[in-house]
Amino acid sequence: MSDTDGAVERDDSEGAPDAPDASDATDVHGAVIDPAVGPAEAALATTNLRRTFGEVVAVDDVSIGVEHGELRAIIGPNGAGKTTLFNSVMGSLSPTAGTVHLDGEDVTDVPEHDRPHMGLARSFQSNELMADQTVLENVRVFVQTAREGAFSFDLFRDHRNVGRDRALELLDTVNLDAEPGALAKNLSHGDQRRLGIAMALATDPEVLLLDEPTSGMSPGATQTTAGLIQSVQSTLDLTVVLIEHDMDVVLSISDRITVLDRGSVIATGPPESIQENDAVQSAYLGGMREEL
Amino acid sequence: MTDRDRKTDGSGEPADADATAADATAADAQTADATGAAAPKVVEEGATLPGGSGWLPSWIARYRVPIGLVLVVLLLRPVVGLPFMLGFESIATTILIVVLFVAAFNLLFGYTGLLSFGHAMFFGFGMYGAAIAMSGQGPAPELPFIAGAGIGIGVAALVAYSLGRLTVQRGEIYFAFLTLAAAQAVYFVANRDPLGLTGGSNGISQGAQPPWVESFRGELRVTLVDWPAPVLDAAGWLDDWYLLVGVVFLLSMGALWQIVRSPFGRSLIAIRENEALARAMGIDTARYKVWAFVFSGSFSAVAGALMAVNNHGASQEWLSVFTSGDTVLMAVLGGVHYFFGPVAGVFLWEFAADYLTDFQVLDLGFVAVDISRELSHWKFLLGAVFVVVVLVAPNDGIWGYLTKYASRARERITEVFA
Repeated sequence: MSDTDGAVERDDSEGAPDAPDASDATDVHGAVIDPAVGPAEAALATTNLRRTFGEVVAVDDVSIGVEHGELRAIIGPNGAGKTTLFNSVMGSLSPTAGTVHLDGEDVTDVPEHDRPHMGLARSFQSNELMADQTVLENVRVFVQTAREGAFSFDLFRDHRNVGRDRALELLDTVNLDAEPGALAKNLSHGDQRRLGIAMALATDPEVLLLDEPTSGMSPGATQTTAGLIQSVQSTLDLTVVLIEHDMDVVLSISDRITVLDRGSVIATGPPESIQENDAVQSAYLGGMREEL
Repeated sequence: MTDRDRKTDGSGEPADADATAADATAADAQTADATGAAAPKVVEEGATLPGGSGWLPSWIARYRVPIGLVLVVLLLRPVVGLPFMLGFESIATTILIVVLFVAAFNLLFGYTGLLSFGHAMFFGFGMYGAAIAMSGQGPAPELPFIAGAGIGIGVAALVAYSLGRLTVQRGEIYFAFLTLAAAQAVYFVANRDPLGLTGGSNGISQGAQPPWVESFRGELRVTLVDWPAPVLDAAGWLDDWYLLVGVVFLLSMGALWQIVRSPFGRSLIAIRENEALARAMGIDTARYKVWAFVFSGSFSAVAGALMAVNNHGASQEWLSVFTSGDTVLMAVLGGVHYFFGPVAGVFLWEFAADYLTDFQVLDLGFVAVDISRELSHWKFLLGAVFVVVVLVAPNDGIWGYLTKYASRARERITEVFA
């Protein structure tokens, strides 16, 4: 989708102490250090974003720039700071330092609940839903939120007349076959993942952050979901940022891949170049060794 | 998409669902289920009405809460008056008022997920506001009931708003603490009798009766209603305080119901169900919570103002921490996720209070035991029920249990006749 060969190769002077040597050394053609685009042009950009928990640096000076219409995958070993990065971008965690730009606008200090109304939406790593509500209501209430804003004294209508058709449409978009009247907690894990995507789409996003949308799915369902993400992206003209562990999915659908390790970006580039990147391979192997 | 729409909009033909289900394959039966479950019956409480749109005309299903409320008002007094129930009718008025109070509390607790341990103060604002105005206590000018009630409700709304702004984002446990602390502060201020306004620990009992109400053999009668007098007179209702309370009850409960079913109310439920999710999806949770608190406090004050007339004044007992605690217990007993939970909870409470304390001798035939002393600790027994409810189904309570039991029975019956 995006032409990565034309992207400016830039050195990340702020780069993490342990990473730059490796990436310089590999010098794999096409493996571009982020940002591929600056905060002014990017659909979503972070600049030297940093988040610490006490002594632990979870996100370490991360600068990424995601182009409009791009499908960007963020990969990295467990504990690399991927979800913390998402949370900092969404505003559920306030960054210790650095900025977040959405469509050229600095949103670092915008409250979390205002960001979905600016076109930023997310799905969660765990199935965050309203377990005791119906499938339909799980989506409908956020269609309503997207239409009415972060707060509204909408007291005189019946909620069933607000956003119901749109919600049914979204359930259809994500191929959720479950009955709209079923309780969300009674859905299978995979259906709950899909419901999570439908809920994120309910906010009418321009930039969609998906946190491991295929986690816990069978290989077949994983492929279906990957196809779903692609089709949703093209039909709704979205920019998608995806955290994903399944390398087949990542390599097949993403335009660019950003690799995080211990909180910092160690490489960004198109799938082919990332596959051959030594720093990436050593990070993954190192990660595995730690896990063992 | 269009296919699903057609399926779910099938509520127009009520008879169809039953017909399909009766003579159908499994797949057809599922379609019928979808029709029932997804159409207007995406129910507030998250439960779906079994039987689908074929069982009741859809408008009854849609308006079953207001219909139920009218039935409560019409049936409560005769039922309560039955000899084996509470045996005297005048308590019905008290029950209606307390139900309104607990329902207002439940808007905050059951629907928004915020536990206030100080709701007595809001009830108290309404009660003292009305009582002070009517009696012209201390330096206060003598004002009509409506003015006093209005002031009380206004103060309640204002306090709820300011307290809410300070506390709703502090986390559940702190919210409970801070509301408790505020209510205790109000209690002790009232106890100090500032400017002779509140009557201290004696409360207000002199002159706190509006001119249009008179006591007649211990019952309150409304004397100054001359609007549809002939009609009401013919029905023998003209002088009835219970029905006046019933009208206010219906208006207030109707308003609470409308709040709960409105898009606003659905945002409250989203916050209750998963606050982190709601915020991430663009709901300004803090503001919604503050306004839920304001509505809850205001309707509590309405109940308090009614009680001022009903009890001929204001008493400090109603401001105390016990009132706040009892409110929580009644709501949980009844079922906090149900609009009718407070009705069930309060009824059970009053029933236990009266029935158990009147119960004297347990006669087993061969031996009779005087258990009146044990039963005077009825709250202890109710506490045991409370523990069971919380352990088994903290959100369902008695009402949730009854509705689930009823729907299962109805399914069984439908099966038998199909």
